[in-house]
Amino acid sequence: MKAALSGLLAALAAAAALAQPVARLLFRDVTREAGITFQHHAAPEKKYIVESMSGGVALFDFDNDGLPDIYFVDSLTVETARDPQAARSALYHNLGHGRFEDVTDKAGIGHPGWGMGVCTADVDGDGWEDLYVTGLGGNHLYRNNHDGTFGDVTGRAGLAGGGWSTGCGFADYDRDGKPDLFVSRYVKIDLEHLPEFGKGKTCEYRGIAVQCGPRGLPGEGDLLYHNEGNGHFTEVGARAGVSDPRGYFGLGVAWFDANEDGWPDLYVANDSTPSFLYLNQKDGTFKESAFPMGVAVSEDGAEQGGMGVAVGDYDNSGRFSLFKTNFSEEYNDLYHNDGDHFTDVSFRSKTAPSSLPYVGWGTAFLDYDDDGLLDIIAVNGHVYPQLDKARLGASAPYRQRRLLYHNRGDGTFDEVSAEFGPVLTEERVSRGLAVGDLDNDGRLDVVVNDLDGGAQVLHNELEGAGHWLLVKLKGKGGNTDALGAVVTVRAGGRRLMRLVRSGTGYLSQDDMRAHFGLGAAAQADSIEVRWPDGTSSRMDEVRADRLLEIDQPR
Amino acid sequence: MRALVGLGLTLALAVPSSGQTPAASSTAGERDRALEKAAADAAAGRRSVAAQELREAALRFHSVTALLQLARLEAGQKEGARALATLRQALALAPNSEDLLSAYAQVALASGAPVRAIPALESLTRIWADVADHHYLLGVALMQAGDMTAAVDALAEAERLEPNRVLTLVALGLAFNKRKLYAEAKPYLVRSLEREPESVEAVAALAESEEGLGELDEARAHALRAVARSPDQPTANLVLGMVLMKEERFAEARDALEKAAAADPTSAKAHYQLSLAYARLGDEARSRREVELYQKALREVEERLQELRGQAGSAPAAPRP
Repeated sequence: MKAALSGLLAALAAAAALAQPVARLLFRDVTREAGITFQHHAAPEKKYIVESMSGGVALFDFDNDGLPDIYFVDSLTVETARDPQAARSALYHNLGHGRFEDVTDKAGIGHPGWGMGVCTADVDGDGWEDLYVTGLGGNHLYRNNHDGTFGDVTGRAGLAGGGWSTGCGFADYDRDGKPDLFVSRYVKIDLEHLPEFGKGKTCEYRGIAVQCGPRGLPGEGDLLYHNEGNGHFTEVGARAGVSDPRGYFGLGVAWFDANEDGWPDLYVANDSTPSFLYLNQKDGTFKESAFPMGVAVSEDGAEQGGMGVAVGDYDNSGRFSLFKTNFSEEYNDLYHNDGDHFTDVSFRSKTAPSSLPYVGWGTAFLDYDDDGLLDIIAVNGHVYPQLDKARLGASAPYRQRRLLYHNRGDGTFDEVSAEFGPVLTEERVSRGLAVGDLDNDGRLDVVVNDLDGGAQVLHNELEGAGHWLLVKLKGKGGNTDALGAVVTVRAGGRRLMRLVRSGTGYLSQDDMRAHFGLGAAAQADSIEVRWPDGTSSRMDEVRADRLLEIDQPR
Repeated sequence: MRALVGLGLTLALAVPSSGQTPAASSTAGERDRALEKAAADAAAGRRSVAAQELREAALRFHSVTALLQLARLEAGQKEGARALATLRQALALAPNSEDLLSAYAQVALASGAPVRAIPALESLTRIWADVADHHYLLGVALMQAGDMTAAVDALAEAERLEPNRVLTLVALGLAFNKRKLYAEAKPYLVRSLEREPESVEAVAALAESEEGLGELDEARAHALRAVARSPDQPTANLVLGMVLMKEERFAEARDALEKAAAADPTSAKAHYQLSLAYARLGDEARSRREVELYQKALREVEERLQELRGQAGSAPAAPRP
């Protein structure tokens, strides 16, 4: 009897195990086996807002070996503020075969101070990627010495910035052939006179004491640096009309051509204030147009806590739309580009409801399954550790899961993170995210910098993904990255469009190479490049499943 | 939402109070006669005389009933602050009186002071946990105070205790809409309309849910139905305007949104959407003007929330600093 019962229980247990849904493998966490040990430093209690906002991550090929390397930004804390060595940002060289090597010390870029964000560009047109790191109390331009080392040329370049810089992005806004630089800034903060934790109306949340700000703290204006071409940049923000004299709380930065006139426009995700869309007037100035263009605030007119911003043509319409991550109980915005304006389609697209509980940060459009449709990823995590002891309301707790939206191809998305197991549903406190193809296998990988805890490298191992193309551009003149170029691939009856961009998501840098999922199409009918100077080039009948380098015709 | 409160207020204050003063029988007789005379004077329209009589009775007999009747009189004359003061006196004598707590909460709500109402309603829901009306009113108070999450919890309890009450169903729909949980809002509103099909407020709220769910045809139909019955219904006009905006019928959208903004000039959303409609029509000046009105409305909402948080009692959940 006993044996029969135990046999029955075993059978039931086996049946129950079989009934458990098995997660499909999409991303595998390869951080440890890849040799990545980076851990972002953070104060446990986050008593000050400056301890909650770092840090970015960059994928860029610093040694021109054809494989994207990784740079993680670290930050100090109020306690360690006087010791720049207490934080160590890290550069990992991609050795291939899934292995990385920490080359930070040799590169000399480990201690940029209180780091926040990162963006890359070949600022001097020598064909080697340079690195710009933002932070509190001064930014750094690290010039690539072509030998695995970098030189800090910030002073000579005039790019120190100052204050609390956050987002950054290079673009040739005046089309003079040299990449210029925009830097967003957040709040004015004085480490000697910090706003006291929990004291005052802007220092509590749901009745509990929390860090103060950003509301109630003075905001800091933004910076635009014009590249003079002699190693020096000139700050022209006020003259260009992008200096943000009202001091909105600037974070994510996106250069893109919003109105299809061939000139780079600029979107700035502002926290707790309306976001900016600066339309390029083609004369070195910009006109702030976020309200009439419909991308300043939510559909309700609510000012949101804008953090990260992604740019992508998710419906293959030939126009770049925007996705912006926000604070909890708001929703992440999907602004569809309708040509001369944008429409908030967040609810219609079904991306909004699942985002409501989360504080969103790093984000990107990515075609993770190579089906020819851009999907969306967003990483989350609250800013108040104290939240776990409080009434949560509609907000998720301090640690939060990720969101992955699969594009259905009809203007709507399914949130599918649960299908892919703990690598996406595990609750973490994430900030920066960068997307790229780390092993050139045509499937996009994801790298995340968490505020608390270790970083993550998520390798895409999806079975049955579609055909693909990876396109690396080489621009002529000083803009060798071809920043602002648009690559259009026609394949399988679709027209797919990608933008080469510096400064992506939340204070981060995606792999600049244009990735295309082609679905069942084994070749591209054509590849057309609209170069930043307005010229274009074209290739026909290009075989799929390979990395392609295209040089701008001389 | 004020309409949802108003009905409850009238009913609760009309409930005769049970005797609560431990007076000797002769004193009780005098007290009862004084109260009857005051009631007669009030019924005859001699409100100031009645009020004076009730004040004297309250003073002389320490009568909670006199104070409650006086508060009722004051509330009826739109003297909310005075009525609240009177009820506070009564609560000092009988702090756990259900009638007094309920009256205090309802007067506070009707006076636009939900934060004052919330502690009273929290006491009521704690002591008389099985009375649906207390949970409902707590939900309404929390909605007014801007804490939609807590409001939903209270309203859901009211719905559990007394299922299918139309006022509760509508309030739940409104609270979920405010939280942008349109899929959750819709079933409550559909159920409320099954029971009270003519409710313009519920039809408009259902249109809002549908618009949020991307069901534009259904949203338009319900918005038009609400507008047909009540041409100035602000939510219905707003939803209609937003549907038309999404269909790029900007001139028609502008017309609907102008009605929405006129019907509720405090609606930041209406002014913001109207600014977009003008921008699409190329009218930059009017678009800018509507952005200014939107910003003004936004500031006023913020000031109102600050004012509410400054009121005595438990503070509503503060948004992010």
